[in-house]
Amino acid sequence: MANLTIEDNFPAGIRVLVIDDDRTSLHVVCMMLESCGYKVTKCTSGKEGLEMLRQEGQFDIVLTDVHMPDMDGFQLLEHVGLEMDLPVVMLSVDSSHENVVKGLKHGACDYLIKPVQREELEKIGEHVITWRRANAGIFDD
Amino acid sequence: MDYVNLRRQAASLRKSLFDQGYLDEQFYQLEDLQDDASPNFVEEVVTLFFRDSARLMANIDQALDKCVKDFNKLDVYMQQLKGSCTSIGASRLKTECTFFRECCRDENIEGCMRSFQKIKREHSVLRQKLESYFQLLRQAGPIECATRPSK
Repeated sequence: MANLTIEDNFPAGIRVLVIDDDRTSLHVVCMMLESCGYKVTKCTSGKEGLEMLRQEGQFDIVLTDVHMPDMDGFQLLEHVGLEMDLPVVMLSVDSSHENVVKGLKHGACDYLIKPVQREELEKIGEHVITWRRANAGIFDD
Repeated sequence: MDYVNLRRQAASLRKSLFDQGYLDEQFYQLEDLQDDASPNFVEEVVTLFFRDSARLMANIDQALDKCVKDFNKLDVYMQQLKGSCTSIGASRLKTECTFFRECCRDENIEGCMRSFQKIKREHSVLRQKLESYFQLLRQAGPIECATRPSK
């Protein structure tokens, strides 16, 4: 099930969906991801993002802001966890310990505090590899 | 046109923005992302920031005007503004946003209003300075002026 050829192409093959209602932040994060070689799709709404994710096979990883008006990052995380098999990284200007713990407890594979550095974003490809390796066993009955 | 002088003015203005705390290291990150493929990236992001933040601040102004004291709503708006400020390295603005949020937590409406006046002033000053900076860069000419000179 796991597409291990992604490692040969790493990171150029990795398709990222970035969801953030703040267009400034979205623009900067997406530019950083593109400069790392990722293939990036932007979205400004949690609900729209979820619809895009429901069309299977388009993305390898999701980056989502936490505080958004229509659907917050935690709700999105819950939906992705229930409906799909995708790693989720949370982004927020809010560095409160309780939110970071909440995110990680609910299955986010990372929680990045804004302003996010390019070096942090460079590593998200590794989450894809780790996630697929971790989940390969579950589906290989 | 004295390009050397214009470049010097641009560099000097840029330096003062950092020295006076208007901008922080995040702005370097934006400059690092600018390249031949995206030669106007910094100005584009900054323009986007001022456009969206102006709209958000108008909402905050309205909310404060109505005197409804919906601190949750004010806090949500301000968190959004803080996020944007953070993304472009607008350091002074970011600090004032944090203070505003503290006033929300304390349910201190006068504090919120004073803080917001300060935010509006800082926003306006930063906008003017960055507009001048980009104008100088444009007048000074070739792309190498737009990439980061020595820190």
